[in-house]
Amino acid sequence: MLCMAISASGCVVVKAHQREALAKRSMTNDREPGEARFGQHATGSREGADGGTGQPGGGCGCN
Amino acid sequence: MRLPVAILVALAPSLAAADGTLSMRGVYYKERSTRVMQPMLDGLFDVGTRGLVNAHFLVDAITSASASSGADNQMPFTENRLEAGAGYAHDFDPIRVGAQARYSSESDYRSFYAGVRGEVDLAQKNMTLGAGFGVASDKISAAAAQGPAIPTLSCTPTMSERQCDLTSYIGFASASQIVAKNAVVGLTYDITKLEGYQSNPYRTALADDGIAPERHPTERLRQAIAASMRYYVGRTKTTLVGAYRYYHDDWDVDAHTPEVRVIQQVGATVDATFRYRYYTQDAAFFFRDRYPTTDAAVFPFISDDVKLSEFTDHTFEAKLGVFGETFGMSGRWADARFEGIISYVAQYNRFGNAVIAHAALTVPITY
Repeated sequence: MLCMAISASGCVVVKAHQREALAKRSMTNDREPGEARFGQHATGSREGADGGTGQPGGGCGCN
Repeated sequence: MRLPVAILVALAPSLAAADGTLSMRGVYYKERSTRVMQPMLDGLFDVGTRGLVNAHFLVDAITSASASSGADNQMPFTENRLEAGAGYAHDFDPIRVGAQARYSSESDYRSFYAGVRGEVDLAQKNMTLGAGFGVASDKISAAAAQGPAIPTLSCTPTMSERQCDLTSYIGFASASQIVAKNAVVGLTYDITKLEGYQSNPYRTALADDGIAPERHPTERLRQAIAASMRYYVGRTKTTLVGAYRYYHDDWDVDAHTPEVRVIQQVGATVDATFRYRYYTQDAAFFFRDRYPTTDAAVFPFISDDVKLSEFTDHTFEAKLGVFGETFGMSGRWADARFEGIISYVAQYNRFGNAVIAHAALTVPITY
């Protein structure tokens, strides 16, 4: 992953003043913390592949 | 929740003159035998010029008739789960570090999580690399059992207790790279090692010779890798988000999760998002719909956990975000954001389909 990221960085450098589109809300984080947290907890309660989030496993038969 | 430090710090300048935000959100979740209402409060506050504190508090009010929640004879009952969390992120440009802690409590499950993470900007901030580590310590009992007696739990094959422990060691790494003036890609990797009780204390597995409490392995190694891309179409003010996640664990569960989101700006103060997510997984190596026998010598592990069976689901979601300026509000209320979300989850398993609705208000604050 690191090698891929480093090699990709050699392809293009976008200067700070060229990042108008990249600074938009939809391009940085379109999900608020509460929305993302509930989404993680809901999928962790229903699906077997929620690993790595450290979410509490209790309630609604989540474990 | 693991909010990347970069996002936390990036949000600070977008608050304009405000020093923080306060969000109130209510979520309603309903499926065949379970209903959840979750009010929550999220705060994000500047500390000096380089620090950012986040905090949240929520209540899960769970009404369930599911045996896996402790219901007896499918009689619905309600219990509450309380969760609080806080974190701090500091910007040492170009390095950011952060720490997060969270505590969750309900009658039969307590969980404490603490973690740290760091990020570094490289190549004139075109690339961000991040890594982190966390530990979760959980305590599980069957205290919510609605039957005549509280069952004991088999914490290990040879030890029965009123309460069992589960410890999770979590590591994660991330990389994001700007690839054009309007495109960014990201890659994340998660690994979790779980040690301890991982069955459900209320569930029983069905066999030809009767039923028996679930017996899951006490160790599990879970790994996931995910890639994402965001692309902004300036002409139509549309953002396209694509993501794919592959998951594998040593219980032989493999899962694939592709997802697309289309975020459409409507004027300067309204945005609409449409989301589709597909999820598919195969079954754990020991999962059966029905076992020939409950004999532990023949089947050391038995389960009735839907999450360990083979199934797919589809999520369809629409979201509308509106800033207060749209309604002619002024001052801080002009920058307040109202949000409504409706989701429909088609689940091809015995959970049945689910409906999820959010209503939220985020207000900038000064202090």
